[in-house]
Amino acid sequence: MKNAENKSYQIFKAAHSNIYSMKIKVRFWSYFSDLTGCKQTSIEVDQGITLGQLHEKVCDKFLELKAAKNSTLKVVNVDYQDSNFVLSDGDEVSLFPPVQGG
Amino acid sequence: MKIELNISTELINEIALSKHQTISEKAGAVVTFSGIVRAQEGESQISAINYESFDEMAEHQFKLIFSEINERWPIESIRLIHRIGIVKVNEASLWVEVISCHRKEAFDACQYLINEMKSRVPIWKKIINK
Repeated sequence: MKNAENKSYQIFKAAHSNIYSMKIKVRFWSYFSDLTGCKQTSIEVDQGITLGQLHEKVCDKFLELKAAKNSTLKVVNVDYQDSNFVLSDGDEVSLFPPVQGG
Repeated sequence: MKIELNISTELINEIALSKHQTISEKAGAVVTFSGIVRAQEGESQISAINYESFDEMAEHQFKLIFSEINERWPIESIRLIHRIGIVKVNEASLWVEVISCHRKEAFDACQYLINEMKSRVPIWKKIINK
């Protein structure tokens, strides 16, 4: 029964994917753009995804970022956020290594 | 507290900056700091550093730091210039001026500003070797 309910939910969700999913723009700074070969990408994710979960998805897409995962700084728009931060439609995420100004 | 912030590719001209200094009659301390590109970075001899900035966020983070300083110390004004792009050896990549009534708060605020910048403001270096 639970499987049937889950399957129905998945079918409903697929039919209404525009309601349940969103596209998040992800920007790469410093040598992260060299590692990924691009300055930015766009990832389709479910509503309610956290910044940490998105970071996992980005690392799965760009395996070169995995080695720097623990030291990666994560930003939503222009503010640092932790992994539990829940993303909203229209948010722009930036990922980069530790900063080095001065 | 008056603020001037400039993230720029232009050379830092300290003589011009000192000419444009504005100071009140209450001020008793002017602390300035210049960060200069060294010829040696780690084991390497270098010719320059290429600075990259996420400008919008850098300005936002600097403003947060200025706001924290304003809450902690009675500072009259801060001017800060950070260069981006290629900065050659012996050129200044950073210039800071802090003006206050007394030297302690000017030194403390300047030190705080630079320490926080180095941990929060999204600017990165790419070394250009000789």
